[in-house]
Amino acid sequence: MDPLFQAAPYSGYVYPNETVIPWSVLIVVYPYLTGLVAGSFTVSSLYHVFGMQQFRPVARFSMLLALCLMVCVPMPLLLHLGHPERAFNAMITPHLTSAFAIFGYAASFYTILLLLENWFVFRPQVVQIATEGRGPLQWICRIVSLASNDLSEHAMHYDHKWIYALSVIGIPAALGLHGYVGFVFGSLKSREWWSSDLMPPVFLLSAVISGTALVIVLYVVTSLFRKVTIEEACVKGLVYTLWAFLMFALLLEGVEFASLLYRSREGIETIMTYVSGPLVVPFFVLQLGLGSAVPLLTLTYLILRGTKGRALIAAATGSALLVLGAVLMMRWNVVIGGQEIAKTGKGLVTYEPEVLGREGLIAAGSVLFLPLVLMFLATRIVSPWAEETRAAVLRGRAPA
Amino acid sequence: MKGYTMNSDDQPAVPARRIFLRDISRGAACAGAVAGAAGLLAAAEAAPGKAEATGSDAASFPTPDYDWNQHRWAYCIDATKCIGCLRCVEACKRENGVALDAHHFRTWVERYAYLDGEEKPHIDSMADPVNIAESGSESQYRFANRYRDAKVDKAFFVPKLCNHCTHPACVQVCPTGATFKTRDGVVLIDHKYCIGCQYCVQACPYGARFFNHAKGVTDKCTWCYHRITKGLLPACVEVCPVEARMFGDLNDKESVVSRFIRNNRVQVLKPETGNAPNVYYIGLDKEVS
Amino acid sequence: MPKHIARLVLLIIGFGALALAAKSFFTVDSFYRFGHYRADSVPEIAALTPAFQTPKACQTCHAPRHAEWSGANHKSVICEACHGAAPGHPDHLKVSIPTDTQRLCTQCHEQMPGRPSSSVRQIDPGQHYPSATQCIACHNPHAPKIEAAAARPVFDRKAAVASAAVCAGCHGESGTAANEIWPNLAGQNAAYLARSLGAFKTGARTDATMAPMAQAVADDDVPNLAAYFSSLSCGASGRRGSGDAAAGKVLAKQCTACHGESGRPVNTSWPRLAGQNPGYLANALTAFREGQRSDPFMSPVAHGLSDADIANLATYFAALSCGATSK
Repeated sequence: MDPLFQAAPYSGYVYPNETVIPWSVLIVVYPYLTGLVAGSFTVSSLYHVFGMQQFRPVARFSMLLALCLMVCVPMPLLLHLGHPERAFNAMITPHLTSAFAIFGYAASFYTILLLLENWFVFRPQVVQIATEGRGPLQWICRIVSLASNDLSEHAMHYDHKWIYALSVIGIPAALGLHGYVGFVFGSLKSREWWSSDLMPPVFLLSAVISGTALVIVLYVVTSLFRKVTIEEACVKGLVYTLWAFLMFALLLEGVEFASLLYRSREGIETIMTYVSGPLVVPFFVLQLGLGSAVPLLTLTYLILRGTKGRALIAAATGSALLVLGAVLMMRWNVVIGGQEIAKTGKGLVTYEPEVLGREGLIAAGSVLFLPLVLMFLATRIVSPWAEETRAAVLRGRAPA
Repeated sequence: MKGYTMNSDDQPAVPARRIFLRDISRGAACAGAVAGAAGLLAAAEAAPGKAEATGSDAASFPTPDYDWNQHRWAYCIDATKCIGCLRCVEACKRENGVALDAHHFRTWVERYAYLDGEEKPHIDSMADPVNIAESGSESQYRFANRYRDAKVDKAFFVPKLCNHCTHPACVQVCPTGATFKTRDGVVLIDHKYCIGCQYCVQACPYGARFFNHAKGVTDKCTWCYHRITKGLLPACVEVCPVEARMFGDLNDKESVVSRFIRNNRVQVLKPETGNAPNVYYIGLDKEVS
Repeated sequence: MPKHIARLVLLIIGFGALALAAKSFFTVDSFYRFGHYRADSVPEIAALTPAFQTPKACQTCHAPRHAEWSGANHKSVICEACHGAAPGHPDHLKVSIPTDTQRLCTQCHEQMPGRPSSSVRQIDPGQHYPSATQCIACHNPHAPKIEAAAARPVFDRKAAVASAAVCAGCHGESGTAANEIWPNLAGQNAAYLARSLGAFKTGARTDATMAPMAQAVADDDVPNLAAYFSSLSCGASGRRGSGDAAAGKVLAKQCTACHGESGRPVNTSWPRLAGQNPGYLANALTAFREGQRSDPFMSPVAHGLSDADIANLATYFAALSCGATSK
């Protein structure tokens, strides 16, 4: 077998060119990361735009998290491209009929937006380091603060207006940034599994729940590490958010799937073979069962019973972890699943991911964890926690 | 206006006039920057090379001997004649340097065999492992005679290739403009511009496109553009021993393709996609997709 | 406006201007000329070198072969379909002559469900002359259709008679040879006669007498002469061999694949043996065995024959009826 590519085994009849699966696990990781960006930004905007005070403990944190995730978003795409050095062609001569062409501009716009917003949010701390810090970090912060130490009421007033404006703009921008990913799949005529008007909202809603779930998990885990009290009101708010969006997401995913089966177009027998065979574990067991039904029931119970304390936090974190898994499986089942159903409508291909290699599981896993590493490094410099005082930052120590 | 009053008690008072002048000059600087950016944008739009998107060009394009405005190419297949000898598949690979394996094809042939008592046909192509085993290698192609001893109700072969659609889905989704339709009706790929994202491979409903792993770009049938611009036929058409494949110019009313379309009830593959393919078939069957 | 805001706004505008400038700078020149693509790529693709040369190119040097091919029923199969693409031939590429014709020919001609019989004549390789190891044993790949035995060749009788006058000395007035050493030509297959004369002319087949005789015949006269002799009616040679005809019949089983069931082949490229002079037949077989005559099929066949075998075979075939339809 040629080491340049991996041939996929198949059953039934598939077009000869379909025996190599074009989009690998990297293209599963990419919408997952973008989704996490949109989701954590949504959590942040619940405080910054909608003024919901219970989210204050995680507002800055999720803003920073969104930025760290966003920076990693182009990586799976660059690893996948045949000519990553030509990647800017899509921005130099964007073909406006292509959803992919929008990516370059949408992603750049959103990255700049997140950069700006984080800049404003952490500006007081950066200025603090610029004036009272030491060493190279002080110089970096001087440049980053644009050589201005103005933290007066007047300046902060402007800052807050900017944060608000950026957050407001950020909501439709996030919808566009992640909605287009759904459109990439939903607009194609060639694959029955993908072709659906519901793809963009399905992607968006699962993005929001994945981001919310990630914030829950990271908030609880980091609070435990920092030995800091976990704000129950915040967790409860996140639970409500997760619960509501999870229901919406399940509704749309369910409608989409049901429509596909109900319409029963040509090729439905092959789809049914797939659904009742290779798809059982990844979709019914992992995505729907463990990943959606269990968290949904748990969260409903939490809300019904008004659970408090450790039980709430533990159950919420557990549900959040399951939801994170569910959304990853959803991306997998869409991207990989769509390619495993041949365009002939008469055959199935099997994706066998490689472990090593540019498009292997290790590469994908590394890209997936890189944002967390970046978060960790960022929190060494600035503090995303609401209760942290300037004094703590002055001591030159970021929170543990 | 907030800026024109005292900032705070411990700052020396600045005359309102100076503050006003300061702000006016800053505003002018901003306006100047915006105007400069707009000017750059306008200059970019008017830059040479982007001016003429239409219009007749003095020199013949793309070669001095071939003017693409004169031709409207089409391809016809008489699937009732195809014998599944696979000369076309081998010739195409030889002509276009396609990878000699069972996973990259610019053209291929499908076999449909309805066995007695079965509703659905058995379908295979030359890439099927059974047929590869028969040929002995992935670089040579041969259909194994697997239905020789079966009771066959009906069987036939269908050659396939890129349909060079009038509304190609692949061109629509290309983010860079690396794939496009020429004026003479051929969909081509610019191997120097393609970034290898493979969105077009996904978008093609016919499975005609594939990723060229050696070059890192996508690839597909070009109707042997390098041959047809020299007055030759595509390699697959040239080599077909039974004239199942035909190629010609629709601008010529008496060309083989014009006559074929005029004299037959022709069909195209997957018309419901709206792609408007330019490969016309006779001899298709209900199960051919 | 606080100064950090002002600087930020300037920074953003500056970045935007830079990005626009970069976009314009990096756009390749020929882009947008005809549409949303790099116009220069079209002539680049058009300039690629074709691999298949087409039969017209082969005709330049291989005119007789081309003529033979284009006048026959394989004319829809281009040269390169069997010989492979020939870019750079003859300077940079040697075109191969296929050796495994069984494999090559059955690619199209093997009987297979789905193959329309109106497109191609099909055979079952297991049943169709299984003793023949190669298709070209009987079929000329450039003109594979085996002419019906009853077809009468067309020729210019007057010219042929004139040319044939000199042959009568050995081969007889009516094509029946004067003695049993020289072959009867009457009623012999025309294609074989033409091929033999051609071989004598080029020296592929050597004979002290026939060489100058053949040289004297013009190229254009050869088919005419062959057709003339073929049209003469063969009579029984009346000459008996000295061997055992019955034993010869047993041995002859291996000859029928090419020479026909009763010594009269279907393919007129091969000689009719029935009713031929026994001495000539014996000499021919001996010559094949000893290497004075060489043929890719006859040499190995003759190799294993003993003198007695040769005598028996010659006797058997000589006794067979040449048949009124042996043309």
